[in-house]
Amino acid sequence: MSSLIREPSDVSRRRFLQVMGASMALASASGCHWETEEILPFQRRPEGRVPGTTRRFATSIECSGVAASLLVTSYDGRPIKIEGNPLHPLDRGAASARSQAAILDLYDPDHSRGLVQAFEGASYPRSWKEFDPWFAGHMAQVRARKGAGLRILSEPSSSLALASLRTRLAELHPQARWVEWEPCARTNKIAGSKLAFGRALRVQPRIEQVNTLVCLDADLFGLHPAALANARAFAARRRPEEAQPLRLWVVESSLSLTGAAADQRLALRDEQILPFLLALEARLAGGKAADGLFLESLADELLAQRGAALIAVGPRQPAAVHALAHRINANLGNTGKTLLYSEESDPAGVMELGELAREMEAGAVETLVVLGGNPVYDAPCELEFRRALRHVPLALHLSHYRDETSRACTWHLPRAHALESWGDCASWDGTRCLQQPLIDPIFPRRTPLELLGAICEAKLGAPELVRACVAPGASDEQWKKILHDGFVEGSAARPVEAALASFSVPAPAPRALAKELRNGELELVFAPDRNLYDGRSANNSWLQETPDAITKMTWGNAAIFAAETAAALGVEDSTLVKLKLGTRELEVAATVLPGQATGSITLHLGHGRSAAGLVGGLEQENIETVGFDAYRLRSSDALDRAGSLEVMPTGKSWQLARTTDPAVTDSIGRKQMEGLVEELARVRTLADFRKEPGSERESEHESLWNKPVAEGVRWGMAIDLNSCIGCNACALACQAENNVPVVGREQVIRGREMSWIRIDRYFTGPERSPRVRFQPLTCQHCESAPCEEVCPVAATMHSAEGLNDMVYNRCIGTRYCANNCPFKVRRFNYFNYHKAIEAEGAEVQRMLYNPEVTIRHRGVMEKCTFCVQRIQAAKIHAKNEGRAPADGEIVTACQQTCPTQAIVFGDLADPKSRVARLHAESRGYAMLAELNIGPRTTYLEKLVNPHPALEEHDG
Amino acid sequence: MTASATTKVRLDEPYHRPLLIEGAEDLASVTNRVCGVVERPKPPRAWYIAITISGSMTLMLGAMVVYLISTGVGVWGNNAPAFWGWDIVNFVFWVGIAHAGTLISAILFLLRQKWRTSINRAAEAMTLFAVCCAGMYPAVHVGRIWVAYWLFPVPNQMQMWPNFRSPLLWDVFAVSTYATVSALFWFMGLVPDLATLRDRATTKLKRVLYGFFALGWRGSARHWQRFERAYLLLAALATPLVLSVHSVVSFDFAVSQVSGWHTTIFPPYFVAGAIFSGFAMVVTVMVPARELFGLKELVTLRHLENMNKVILATGSMVGLAYATEFFIAWYGGNPYERFTFVNRAFGPYAWAYWIMIFCNVVVPQFFWSKRIRTNLWLMVVVAILVNVGMWFERFVIIVTSLARTYLPSSWGYFKPTWVDVCTFAGTIGLFFTLFLLFCRFLPMVAIAEVKTVLPAAHAHKENGHE
Repeated sequence: MSSLIREPSDVSRRRFLQVMGASMALASASGCHWETEEILPFQRRPEGRVPGTTRRFATSIECSGVAASLLVTSYDGRPIKIEGNPLHPLDRGAASARSQAAILDLYDPDHSRGLVQAFEGASYPRSWKEFDPWFAGHMAQVRARKGAGLRILSEPSSSLALASLRTRLAELHPQARWVEWEPCARTNKIAGSKLAFGRALRVQPRIEQVNTLVCLDADLFGLHPAALANARAFAARRRPEEAQPLRLWVVESSLSLTGAAADQRLALRDEQILPFLLALEARLAGGKAADGLFLESLADELLAQRGAALIAVGPRQPAAVHALAHRINANLGNTGKTLLYSEESDPAGVMELGELAREMEAGAVETLVVLGGNPVYDAPCELEFRRALRHVPLALHLSHYRDETSRACTWHLPRAHALESWGDCASWDGTRCLQQPLIDPIFPRRTPLELLGAICEAKLGAPELVRACVAPGASDEQWKKILHDGFVEGSAARPVEAALASFSVPAPAPRALAKELRNGELELVFAPDRNLYDGRSANNSWLQETPDAITKMTWGNAAIFAAETAAALGVEDSTLVKLKLGTRELEVAATVLPGQATGSITLHLGHGRSAAGLVGGLEQENIETVGFDAYRLRSSDALDRAGSLEVMPTGKSWQLARTTDPAVTDSIGRKQMEGLVEELARVRTLADFRKEPGSERESEHESLWNKPVAEGVRWGMAIDLNSCIGCNACALACQAENNVPVVGREQVIRGREMSWIRIDRYFTGPERSPRVRFQPLTCQHCESAPCEEVCPVAATMHSAEGLNDMVYNRCIGTRYCANNCPFKVRRFNYFNYHKAIEAEGAEVQRMLYNPEVTIRHRGVMEKCTFCVQRIQAAKIHAKNEGRAPADGEIVTACQQTCPTQAIVFGDLADPKSRVARLHAESRGYAMLAELNIGPRTTYLEKLVNPHPALEEHDG
Repeated sequence: MTASATTKVRLDEPYHRPLLIEGAEDLASVTNRVCGVVERPKPPRAWYIAITISGSMTLMLGAMVVYLISTGVGVWGNNAPAFWGWDIVNFVFWVGIAHAGTLISAILFLLRQKWRTSINRAAEAMTLFAVCCAGMYPAVHVGRIWVAYWLFPVPNQMQMWPNFRSPLLWDVFAVSTYATVSALFWFMGLVPDLATLRDRATTKLKRVLYGFFALGWRGSARHWQRFERAYLLLAALATPLVLSVHSVVSFDFAVSQVSGWHTTIFPPYFVAGAIFSGFAMVVTVMVPARELFGLKELVTLRHLENMNKVILATGSMVGLAYATEFFIAWYGGNPYERFTFVNRAFGPYAWAYWIMIFCNVVVPQFFWSKRIRTNLWLMVVVAILVNVGMWFERFVIIVTSLARTYLPSSWGYFKPTWVDVCTFAGTIGLFFTLFLLFCRFLPMVAIAEVKTVLPAAHAHKENGHE
């Protein structure tokens, strides 16, 4: 490694001038990355380009080897908002909260801006100009040795271009090995299908065909890679007009989004799902397993719904559970009807991380190229990956952030953001999606394709390579269409026939089942975080501050206990406990949550980063880590759950930054809340609804005020609680669209979060099997708005179209309006929450903001505007065409992204509009209508479909 | 017979009216005694100690306000859902304190309650100082102080008027009118006494300053005739204000639709509470002041006892209001309102509620006992507790109602920050600083008015007054 670039330990004046001169010369030569464009004013404006208007481009983003197809809005060349691609067959315009939040990473000041070389304990900034020739020389030596000692560690990817480079790498460096690691991979699923079918297959659920959906620890609507499509299909099957409405059964250890949507839910320890499924299979096969009413009823229903049922299993369950589910599905005749199989990429031949770590320790790895990922943080703890890296003389880490792994490697190479990259990936159904850059890399960052291209001496540049792989032989016209659509039409994977192999699953020993509520017999379940996933989004302040859908926790995680477990162990909510697995210990916060299986403790991964950045924690600069790092307890043999957990309360208290709940610990509050919730977030059984469809509507009282006379359009909203699954996608859409600031942990604890749309979550019913109610809440734009009456300076006023307008530059900040708002949807700028972007050098961060929406100063009130900027834009557009905006033409940000289409916006004055029809629906009701405020938002009751035999059982 | 013995006898005989002024005071001695406080070359040592403490607290107030304005309202503990916290609690608290002065001066004047003459000057001064403390809060609590003037109907280039439907705007008018009229009334009453000080002044500076503010008063019969007419008119003008200002302050709450705020009982309830707290503050301040400046003969135990009776009466009214509120919350059948009241008494803020009940309802009942009512130490203890209780009443009304309103999802808990605490302490400092300066430089007792109730002024009557 003598050819390492020398560190500037003694820079003489002469040397300094030389370097300066060189950089001047190089600076003029740099700046060509994708396509060189002259920055000159257009003499003739190109067709379709109007300065100051937005343009939209289709691209995609990959997570865990599955694509999310996106449509990104770009304003004067800078991407400002991510939405789902409406053309894509699965996503259909929806985007998950995490996909949408990716835009923030693009402008994150922590997003790596340059190369860093570590040398003898110090680190030095480097440039690609320095790196490239040196690296080419180094790779030539490696190639001479046929790639011996070269290891490439990558995240699993569905990219064809990457696969082609991989093939080339194998040719060029036959002795090099490819390693894949991802903390939340589909290993169990693949192993399960191999057990059942002898090959790697992927389940394509067809929920539109399902009458009985059974999810065993499967979060089909939350963490599933095709969650958006699943949720959409589910919502469609839940419409009350469906002749045969779907019934959702969920068996899981901790509440997931799917569990929250369940009609029948059973909280079961994670390790008891296998025996549960064995008992179910036995019962279905004709046996008489008297394992309780739940299993009995489920089995009866499954038998009655042969061919219309689906048993889905989550990625955390061992292969046996997957295989069993495949078998049951096949035996019930569901295969081919409610689920299809497609080819899954088989990781056979790929080296495992453990093997790599052992090689590294042994000194057998000379050059390690880490393409993305963060193994130092998320590798199984017993591998001690950080220590292993010390034995690797040259370790390069290409990553978005200079994270834990980058800091342990000899080189950190900045990785281009997805919106700066050329690439390709496949969505869950196999549809080939294209990744095209919306912007030149803002800083000299590179993609894995480019780096790998350099290693394999690829002849084609990344764009050409992607084209050659995605659309070989396509004409320019066809290619243009792919660029426009963002995916290759009709490229979804073909369903394959799956022949069931014979296999047997041994029943677990009875001792393993009879576990008690005491230390050593508890289980610890590792679950990816709903917002931060495996930790890759830990430096994304939007995601950190988005309340978790179930716990409503922001900025951190906590070990989730059932009330019974907590009582037995002496654990209290908002305290610190010590978790002990063998010799490993971790101090974490504890929280008590309904619906958690007793004896099972869930801890979300992805928190406690020590080198995430200024948001997620950076030890080196004394930025506190956020949350607790569950990976420190996670070992290779217990990646999903560990069975012999010990819990020791420490007695120390810990403040959890929750946006709701913590205030309701007293019995008076609880009682009131339970009573009110029935009124506010209404749920009825489908059977009740069919008997008596009308929902109870509060009669209006006589008013002292003159009712505003509505002429012309009246904007209004309808939110279908029956469709809402609480996924937070709307919250992120609003955040990006409306420049909603982030306030930080301390401020959230003070209750000062700024979200314009929040999703209220209530638990009702028994602690073990609670009914979860979600209720998205925006400004209700009341007809007779209480906020408007009390503002002394008339800063909030009714518009002619019935919008409750907020005039920021008139507001003096008395906060009276917020006090008088019964929905508490108004947000106050207690501080200047945009201070960071006002600072010098924050030019890049400023590029994020939507220019159509004012950035609010400290001291003013703000709230949901019904996306007034979108209303105006659509009106102007329609006016230019000499017509009125059509129904459905104006789409608010939250509505646009909602995967279940729970939110509908439109003109209430037009009786034919969708929103007016929803307002008139028998399920409709307005919240707090008895206050005579006339909310413009109508909620549609949620209808649940519990099993008749279990209904009264539930209470 | 000594003065105190006389008092004792007289107090015990209800058919005998006790003397308003004790001791062998005559016209000259009253002037000497009151002006003597101002004319002393040096105030007592205790004055220096007191003003050092209160002055530093005032400086701290300044620092807090600068910090608040430069950083944002977030330095306080206000949050969502309790968008108002100590800011408005303290505002209402100080406005309440401000009630006693004008009530004593105007209403008791119109009702011919002559005993007011000894205490009205100091009480009015307290009114003004309390209004200063109160008025500061709404001004600085807004998010954008630099445009707070938009609250006033000033013609402007935006052609914008304030929103006349907002109770907050009524509040601006009510408080500013009250402050103006109280100041005028107080100053009016001061004019003859300032002239006295001018005439007795020993230095040029004093003569010029007192002379300037005495407005050329010469004490002619015509002056007196006009003075008394104007005083009567101002008293008549100020009287409705006493009732209106706190009624309007209560509209801030009553007109809103926050359960726990939205009740029709608020205007009388607030006025009673304000008089209650105002009188308690007068007792708290006058007892040490009369000791300190040797005014025991002018501000007698009878004055204090009368005030204690008012405290007892208004305290009972406040207690009745609490009970009525609770009853209506139950009887009205509004689930939100019912919850608000149950939550106040038994929810997370129960501690505040029961402090309030103890201090405002239980403690004043001790004044049924004459021994307690006439014991200086005990009456100060009771008065201070009443002030504490009235502060908690505003806290309970404002914070507990806001913390848990309609949607359980948005419930929260308000916790003050150190800035809240220091700001409040600062206003206490400001109040006492102003009061101490007043004691030092202006006649604490209305000399001219006291003279009218001396026995000498009513020589033809048996006891010296009607």
